[in-house]
Amino acid sequence: MRRSLVISLIGLASIAATCVSASAASSGLSAGPINVGVVAPFSGPAAEFGTLLSAPCIASTDLINKSGGILGHKLQCTSVDDTGDPADAVPNVTRAIGTISNFVMAEGLETNTAATTIPLLNGAHIPFVTAAGLTAYDKTKDKYFWRLTPADDANGAAMIAYAAQKNYKKVAVVFEDNSTDTGNVPGINKAAPKLGVKLAVNTTIPADATSYSSLAAKVIADHPQALVFDADPQTTATFLSNYSQLNNGKLPPMITATDSLTPDWYSAVSKAVGKAYIFHKVALVGSYFSQSTAAFTVYKNALLADPKTHGIANTLASVGPPASIYDGLNILALAMVMAKSAKGPVFNSDVIKVTQAHAGAVVVDSFAAGEKALAKGKRIQYVGVLGSVTFNQFHNFAGAFAADVFTGASTSRRSALISASEISKLLG
Amino acid sequence: MHILIESIGFGVASGAVLSLGAVGFTLQFGISNLLNVTYGALMSLGAFLGLFLLGLGLNIWLVMTLGGLLIGVTSVAFSRGLISPLTRRGLKPFSLVIVSVSAGIVLEYLIVAVAGPATQSYGNLSGTTLHFWDFTLTTSQVTILAIAVVLMLGLHLLLTRTQLGRAMRATSSNRTLAKSCGIATSRVSDIAWLISGTFCGMAGIALAITTESFDFTLGSLFLIPMIAAAVLGGVGQPYGAMVGGLVVGIVTEISAAYWNPAYESVIAFAILILMLLVRPRGLFGSGSARRLLA
Repeated sequence: MRRSLVISLIGLASIAATCVSASAASSGLSAGPINVGVVAPFSGPAAEFGTLLSAPCIASTDLINKSGGILGHKLQCTSVDDTGDPADAVPNVTRAIGTISNFVMAEGLETNTAATTIPLLNGAHIPFVTAAGLTAYDKTKDKYFWRLTPADDANGAAMIAYAAQKNYKKVAVVFEDNSTDTGNVPGINKAAPKLGVKLAVNTTIPADATSYSSLAAKVIADHPQALVFDADPQTTATFLSNYSQLNNGKLPPMITATDSLTPDWYSAVSKAVGKAYIFHKVALVGSYFSQSTAAFTVYKNALLADPKTHGIANTLASVGPPASIYDGLNILALAMVMAKSAKGPVFNSDVIKVTQAHAGAVVVDSFAAGEKALAKGKRIQYVGVLGSVTFNQFHNFAGAFAADVFTGASTSRRSALISASEISKLLG
Repeated sequence: MHILIESIGFGVASGAVLSLGAVGFTLQFGISNLLNVTYGALMSLGAFLGLFLLGLGLNIWLVMTLGGLLIGVTSVAFSRGLISPLTRRGLKPFSLVIVSVSAGIVLEYLIVAVAGPATQSYGNLSGTTLHFWDFTLTTSQVTILAIAVVLMLGLHLLLTRTQLGRAMRATSSNRTLAKSCGIATSRVSDIAWLISGTFCGMAGIALAITTESFDFTLGSLFLIPMIAAAVLGGVGQPYGAMVGGLVVGIVTEISAAYWNPAYESVIAFAILILMLLVRPRGLFGSGSARRLLA
């Protein structure tokens, strides 16, 4: 009797173990949480980006975990430090892929290192949402690449479109000589002649030089109505300070990218040339999203709710790239739920399905709503912070653009809108 | 012509800061024969010390003096605590360079640990803009220029008119011989590190004033043009470093005015290479026997 009971128990245990391992094998997950790799600089001069790019992951995973996680697993954001330098990024990302368990999706992959980190994740079949605006990825064949942020050249064209809206006929174009900032220039060069905007000085500058006086003198001599400018906080502060010194304290209006909306930039520039200049003369151009939708409220509340993101919630809520990461992660998570698998090659093909408009599809604006609808066997269309997302054949999506003006250390208000079709025409 | 003269003015202003740093760098090299890459991180430390002292409500020029002296003392501690013991253990010059690179990285990240990675600023201290002939300079640039001239004159007098200066030159030329002649070479070396460190700290603060914005990489970014200035003038030659600093500053500004500013450093370094092809020992270098001499 006792022997048969033991055999029965062993049998039951074996069946249970087989079921668990079969379930793990089908979902592609081992025990423990699902890791969302945040591939970004967490050390070095660009470390601020690590904090900024982690925040949408924290917001997204907090909300997903509140809904019970995915396939019975909680999610956690895991920092993968690319240091902003490709030489460090390659070994660090390679190590992360090889050692982090349940590393099934990633985000971040900013411009400076994207060309080296994207092939690694793509090769490892890990779907990812990138914040890199590199134009080289406008027509990528990388299957696991997803981008909801506009390419840099489109951003450049939007800057000139805004200049034209403001009726500026002559602008000076000055960009820091790195891949992030100079990526805007081709779009500027294409858009300016079409909109009748003359480029007075059109140049790149080295970062963090001791002086930009000679260049500032050259720009002043050309009498531009505005500066189309993008550089790091230190470079911007030094350039503007030199400009102001040489121009009797006067500075022309500046059109820059929304990347500039960081506390660091605000602090450096306001100390060099004063807050009044930032509030009255600086316009930030980047991707547009409405701040009055339910999806935005959910996103912003999640940022405000977590102590790790509370302090920077206002900055992030105003900027396009973090919102695009948040939406992107929700989309990847819903694709996983739909595919009932965390295996990249399996759920990656469902990414487009959860965003496509479809007859009878339930429109959802959060992961929780999407998961509920999927559980009921419904088809869904995720319409998040960025609105309706339509990926093209290269897994890219770019919507409209907005120009914002500073209203505080890290908040802004909308000043102008530029449609996606207008940008498309300018780049065509 | 107006642009050329204006650029020369800008170049002299930025060259003065370069010269301050380059003179300290070359002075220390002349005495210790060590390519001290930690120098850049010490400049950054000087800038952050300046920020702290400025926060206490001190006048910026007093801050520059105090900050410089504090970095001078730190430099002596660095030499006594790390470089000298390793030298005594027979560490090779290349290994010592690696030690100085490592120490610089450690120091930079200590700064980040204390002050954070964010960009800092002393605020706008540039003062009034002065126009004379075709030059346009701010009062702070003119003051830094004047400080650099006074310090370099002081260094000249120290090296040529004092017992200590002669001892420094003797130690630089041949340390063993100087020691056998009764010169306290260790003390002379300490004083050289103190002066070099003071120039380093003052250059860091001057740089933070002129750029209006800085982070922990300030000194490291400045290190390469500063070494270029020192090499251009002749390594170990303070007067060469002064002139080298001015040449690098002026060439950089002129190239930014006439060509793409992105290539300003390229042009400055191309001139450096050409100069070394013509005069391998630099503008003022004429052999180890005359180091620390014009």
